[in-house]
Amino acid sequence: MKIAINGIGAVGGFGCGTDALASALHSGRCEPGRAAVKTTRGPVEIPVYLADTSRLEDFVNKRALRRIDHFSKMALLGSHLALKEAGKLEEDHSRMGVIVATGYGAAHTTYDFLDSFLLQSDSFSSPTCFSSSVHNAAAASISMLLDITGPGLTVSQFEMSAASALLAARSWLEEGRVDSVLFGTVDEYCDVLGYCWHRFYGEKAAAPHEMRPLEFNMQSAIPGEGAVFFLLTAEGKETASPYGFIEDILIGRCGKGKIGAAQGTRLFIGADGNMTFSSYYKNHLPGGVPTTCYTPLYGSLPTGQAFDIAIAAISRMNGKVFPSPGAGGCADMPERPLGDDKIDCITIGGEGELASVILH
Amino acid sequence: MNNAPPTPVAITGVGCICAPGNNLAECMESLFKGERKLGPPMRFTSSHAITYPVFNIADDLTSLAIINTPDISRTGKLGLKAAFEAIACAGLDRQRLKSKRVGVCMGTTLGSVMNNADFYRAYLEDQDPDLAAITMYLQSNPASVIARELELTGPLQTVVNACSSSTDAIGIGAMWVRSGLCDIVLAGGADELSHIACNGFISLMITDSGPCKPFDRDRRGLNLGEGAAMLVLESEDSKKERGVQNRTFVLGYGASCDAYHLTAPHPEGRGLRRAVGEALAACGISAPDVAFVNAHGTGTPDNDRVESHVLCDMMPGVPFLSTKGYTGHTLGAAGAIEAAFTVACLEKGAIPASAGFTTPDPELPSSPVTGEMSIPGNVAVSESLAFGGHNGVLVFGKKEVLS
Repeated sequence: MKIAINGIGAVGGFGCGTDALASALHSGRCEPGRAAVKTTRGPVEIPVYLADTSRLEDFVNKRALRRIDHFSKMALLGSHLALKEAGKLEEDHSRMGVIVATGYGAAHTTYDFLDSFLLQSDSFSSPTCFSSSVHNAAAASISMLLDITGPGLTVSQFEMSAASALLAARSWLEEGRVDSVLFGTVDEYCDVLGYCWHRFYGEKAAAPHEMRPLEFNMQSAIPGEGAVFFLLTAEGKETASPYGFIEDILIGRCGKGKIGAAQGTRLFIGADGNMTFSSYYKNHLPGGVPTTCYTPLYGSLPTGQAFDIAIAAISRMNGKVFPSPGAGGCADMPERPLGDDKIDCITIGGEGELASVILH
Repeated sequence: MNNAPPTPVAITGVGCICAPGNNLAECMESLFKGERKLGPPMRFTSSHAITYPVFNIADDLTSLAIINTPDISRTGKLGLKAAFEAIACAGLDRQRLKSKRVGVCMGTTLGSVMNNADFYRAYLEDQDPDLAAITMYLQSNPASVIARELELTGPLQTVVNACSSSTDAIGIGAMWVRSGLCDIVLAGGADELSHIACNGFISLMITDSGPCKPFDRDRRGLNLGEGAAMLVLESEDSKKERGVQNRTFVLGYGASCDAYHLTAPHPEGRGLRRAVGEALAACGISAPDVAFVNAHGTGTPDNDRVESHVLCDMMPGVPFLSTKGYTGHTLGAAGAIEAAFTVACLEKGAIPASAGFTTPDPELPSSPVTGEMSIPGNVAVSESLAFGGHNGVLVFGKKEVLS
């Protein structure tokens, strides 16, 4: 079954909304922000693609947001933008399901909860932080604020999260459990993630201020955060589908050979300058298939594949493939017409897990 | 739902580990003896003024034969232990699994959270903690652990829907089989006891300082537990090819959001009613056909009140019980453990007493069973309610339902 994309809402280091993402695609530039990471030698600054959720107040009043953390705010903003774009913000949502995929969950609130008792004693544990730290807090906030009463699901499968959760969206639509699915991904940056990042990669990063994901022998990843949401329906049930359709979702493992790609397919790859994954891309990408990579627009995060799906949808709507941003690799390639080609958004996880989402 | 009822999905193997026992047979024996094996936490200490009892599993799982990546979390090991039992129960082995399209769908809560307290304490104290804790977290995603160990290449999904996680994982796994995506899905859930989760539930003031009393007038909250359970869900073609006899089936699954509150159920059980209704309608089962219900029954005032009203309204007179009085609340594993018990009770034709229940609550319109009861029917329901207002309901049926 094909899945129609009726609307997209995205927030990340590039800004807020599909216009901001399209603008970053056109310019091929997105400047990361900065975050301080503590080390035994004192704090160091690292680049991070950070998301600003202030536009959520266009949809939800401040009072309703006062106990909602940054993780859920990103998801809420993505959700509202996707529904607004699809013209479904004000409609009845009783036949809608909500699916959220996340790699690390509400990381910041998770550590806030630990702070509440590690810095004092167990009896000071914060109930507010605890209940907001559960991985499905974002899906819960979305269902509450948008009155979505169909099924709810949160999936956490690291780099496979987006594709894995999409399988559930397809199943719900196939079995007629819902008329539509508000599907999205969210991951946030926090100090501890930054600290781990710096410990694992900081010293190795050859170009820490610029991602060069297609230079597979170079560690150049920059952490990112953000959310992307899509309003999905079964093909034929869409109000409009300027973004095209999700034709297939495949999850497996890299075998011994190259990844298969049918004639007339463009590859959007999730290589993010992280050498843990780079060798898989280097060894398994097929030769002779037009390949682009957009991670320098949103950074390195487990659910990055959803940004590639959004970019593929924007490419379909515009009828063209944008060049890979950033230095190195295909950066000098001009925009190319997409024609009737399919786009295969490929992500590879740390254990050679492979997820492919094909748009047409 | 679509007009045609979804095809039942066969359960060909079951595995379970929790406080009552290290495998499903031990668990069932313990449940029917009425044993309640709770005590102080064995693997952590707490600075609370009183000790809240939990349902520990004594086994440290060091003897578990893990070939690939032995350095994984306890949650990962619990999941593997249950998976090994379920696979053996189904008459499968590693080699046979490799020749099929096998997916893994797991529910958890703690198994997906990067919250190692020792690591974080050392980080706060500027000690540059060993990154092994982070590496272990990255290697311990519950679905990936099983796939890696058994060298499976099918789809993976770790469902993190709080306390309904593994009910949803089984429902989703059944969809994967039904749609032809997989020949076999290993579906279930796992969660370990943790100081962090204990602090969380105590802070919410929904933890009992004595043994929990689901649906009882004097109930004061839940006890936490740990464990895992796995079901082998298998396609008809795969079963036929292996010559496997019919046993028990996943007949229906319903899920919904309350859209009401982060930690409290909707007072009228709006979401639960919808999930129950969908699960039964999905398989064309009406309430009088249901032999028993394995309720979520945490022992918290709110949960049990809502569940009792919904059960009375939607399945009046159908016997129900909570097995959390035997296992504690095992969070992301609870739905799978209760699914395993539901299947085993259905096959045994009997349910044990609802542990902890002695005094009916005059505010509740229905009460659970007080003693062991013979169950002549062929269909049973298992319910899960979760933080975030998620509800998941599974309907199981014996092979006789199909004829």
